[in-house]
Amino acid sequence: MSEQFHGRAPEPSTQGDAQTAVGNGQVAALVVRGISKSFDRTRALDDVDLEIHRGEVVALVGQNGSGKSTLVKILSGYHEPEAGGQLSVDGADVPLPLPPGKSHEIGLSFVYQDLGLSGGMTVLENLNLSARVRRGLGAWSPIWWRRERRAAAAVLKLYGVSLDLGTRAGDLAPVDQARLAIVRSAHDLRQFQASAGDRSSILVLDEPTVFLPEEDVRFLFDLIRTMVGMGGSVLFISHDLPAVREIADRTVVLRDGHKVAEVLRGEFDEEALVNLIVGGMTTRRSAPPREDTRSAGAMSQPSTEETERAPIPSTASRLPRDGRAISIDGLSGGRLRELSLTLAAGEIVGVAGLIGSGAEDVPYILFGSEPATAGTLEIGGETLSIKDLTPSRAVRNRLALIPADRKQFGLGLALLVWENMTMLIQDEYFRGGIFRRDELVAIAERGVDDFGIKPPRVDARTSDLSGGNQQKLLLAKWLLARPRLLIAHEPTQGVDVGARREIYQLVRRATDGEGMAVVWVTTDFAELEEVCDRVVIVSRGRRSGELRGAEMTEDSISAAVLRQLEEVA
Amino acid sequence: MATTLVQEVGPASGAPQGEPKVEETPTRGHARFAHSLDRYALIIAFIGIIIGFSAAVPSTFDTVANLSNILGGQAVLFILTVAVLLPTIMGDFVDLSLGASLGLSAMTIAVLNVNHGVPIVYACLAGMGAAIVVGVVNTVFVVFYGNNPFIITLGTMTVVEGVTYIISSNATVGVVSTGLSNWVYTNTFLSIPLEYFYALAIFLVVWYVLSFTPVGQKALVIGQSREVARLSGFHVDRQRAWAFIIGAAIAGFAGIAYAGTYGSVDPTAGSTFILPAYAAVFLGATAIHPGRINALGALIAVYFLAAGTAGLELLGAQAYIQQIFYGAALVVAVALPTVTRKRLFKRRRAPS
Repeated sequence: MSEQFHGRAPEPSTQGDAQTAVGNGQVAALVVRGISKSFDRTRALDDVDLEIHRGEVVALVGQNGSGKSTLVKILSGYHEPEAGGQLSVDGADVPLPLPPGKSHEIGLSFVYQDLGLSGGMTVLENLNLSARVRRGLGAWSPIWWRRERRAAAAVLKLYGVSLDLGTRAGDLAPVDQARLAIVRSAHDLRQFQASAGDRSSILVLDEPTVFLPEEDVRFLFDLIRTMVGMGGSVLFISHDLPAVREIADRTVVLRDGHKVAEVLRGEFDEEALVNLIVGGMTTRRSAPPREDTRSAGAMSQPSTEETERAPIPSTASRLPRDGRAISIDGLSGGRLRELSLTLAAGEIVGVAGLIGSGAEDVPYILFGSEPATAGTLEIGGETLSIKDLTPSRAVRNRLALIPADRKQFGLGLALLVWENMTMLIQDEYFRGGIFRRDELVAIAERGVDDFGIKPPRVDARTSDLSGGNQQKLLLAKWLLARPRLLIAHEPTQGVDVGARREIYQLVRRATDGEGMAVVWVTTDFAELEEVCDRVVIVSRGRRSGELRGAEMTEDSISAAVLRQLEEVA
Repeated sequence: MATTLVQEVGPASGAPQGEPKVEETPTRGHARFAHSLDRYALIIAFIGIIIGFSAAVPSTFDTVANLSNILGGQAVLFILTVAVLLPTIMGDFVDLSLGASLGLSAMTIAVLNVNHGVPIVYACLAGMGAAIVVGVVNTVFVVFYGNNPFIITLGTMTVVEGVTYIISSNATVGVVSTGLSNWVYTNTFLSIPLEYFYALAIFLVVWYVLSFTPVGQKALVIGQSREVARLSGFHVDRQRAWAFIIGAAIAGFAGIAYAGTYGSVDPTAGSTFILPAYAAVFLGATAIHPGRINALGALIAVYFLAAGTAGLELLGAQAYIQQIFYGAALVVAVALPTVTRKRLFKRRRAPS
């Protein structure tokens, strides 16, 4: 299906090619040739080319790990590319690697997902932040606030953005924050252009639409079009294909560090693009198509090159048990809209979605830590209103939450291992006015062995443990409380491969042995394929599909997530 | 190479890694020794100054009168230190108003008893009640409305001090009923004023709750990582509220002890105690469980500071030496471990 695109092989193309790509015979604003980068044994970027012309919006799409962010980080000077890569701006070569922080000197400016605004400062102060960075005597020159106000008002007007200069940036709506960040970068670039004598300028927008309500994205696009109309160029990095379709003149697809296709505006076909991004049947990471474990009962034999992926023990006890199902109904709040989900005892259900789809809100809303607007949870024969749920009530109803931010929300890093591990069960060990601390320590000692926590010392400080061991400790803390439902958000983030496998097995043991159900939310789709019985897809806050059995592969999950379909009845 | 630093491998770099190597080094024993040195440094220093002063002024330092002076004379500070301990341990690092609550409580007792002839028992209850009201106000603004405890208690402290001036008409009020003085200061047990034993009783209760009950263990988690406590289902706000209110009640009791000890109450009474009490709590955090605010450490710190100042005064130093000693001890105790650790690390890194 790729013949309908200008499918470009990764071999270096010539400068002439680049010009015909748009066909206006102009020298490209930015040309990147033969950029490669490896991390350890992973090839993050392999001989990638990219051209951006003046007044053009180029979108860069690809899965997590396709090399998008590595490319952006090379352009920003954060990563050093391998020798042999070339970068030129307006036809003039720029030596690589770029010194960090110098990318703006060649006309590049970046707006990242977090926008880099200071929430406590006003719109005006944020706009002029870069003007504050001066060295030497310049740092002492006075600020003429009236003049700055007038200039800032003119800048906002120029870009057609109306914002009150005195409002704190943190009080702005998300879309206005994004517009402020973009105007600031665009304006800095314009000043650069003026001082450097009509040089090209390229604004790099890294996932700018992720946290915006759908109806607000068009305001952002108006701003981008205004900028481009003034001669700027934009590199638009996104997962959001409908947004890309609307704004991009040309779309570059990266997969596994290769440029696999370039699609012009008129040729944009979302379904074909999904296939290009995901790559159909690839051999790189995914396991051989696996059989449905439910019907097969036994795991398929791992292939020889997949020796690392030893099968997770799985037994027939994962079959639904009567009367012990957990049902989540009409969950709304945050970005979620009426999400429903049923889990059988012992079942692991994955939740997948793009960043900003609402999937990442599921754990916290379900646990009562973030406010819900509606929804019920049926667990253990009781029906709870999720609106009234608090973490205390959730714990009382034997829910467990493994939050993504382990250091802030999961474990007290200054506490000892046994204190963290027995935090939830200590009330049971206060009898007759005596706190049975020795019993708790003994439980923790068994837990340390059982969960393979190293060093196996219950009096070690938690902050002295590695990420993987901290994560095992966090799992132990919750599993000791024997939850009925474990809600895990990115439970293997920042965890080495060995510990990751141990975590899968520990969770599986609890589901098989005690019938604990698990909601597993992650953007690592290979992990979902490996550990889950089913995967529910969330798009724009709603449930948009479900994959199970053999159709539940890393690639099919990716594709389903990218399609962002509305629920098919 | 001596140490292999613990590694975290992100999902992006899929390179297989072995078991993460945990620090297992010849320096382990050394580190453990340094750790116990941290734990007991304050106690060692305490013993050191006792031996030092006993040698320097044996005729006065090693006497029952001096012991009675150290233990009894600092009972008010001791009680206030226990009060300070409660909100501090929950991570609400300052309740500045506790000193003012002490002053308000003492002044309420004096004014009611001396100027209005209210029986001393009722006056004492009213004094504690006034302190508890301050604690409730703090709780409402800090815990329920989520404001910064430093700012709120700075405000309530200032207001309460003002109120104390108003009810006292800006003058020292005395002398309160001798019944109170007898039960607080004049009567002794083992030659030590009774108030010391009241203070000890309050301390023992607080120490027991903090160290030997799940409530204390939860307080620790709340103080160290409030969000972790919240997501573990603890009633974080409820427990913080109790800490503020019980802390205020204990400060009110310290006001009773003050009125009984000194007989007459000065409107500035409260403000002279609050900073030494904080000095003791933070100094105590360097002992027993270094890095944690803990009850036992605070107890040792209070009497370390009391013995130090008593000794210096016996050597002929002026009363203001107390301030210098308190401040210097706090800075040295808190900074010393960080200074030595930095040097230790430098030396360890060089050869590897």
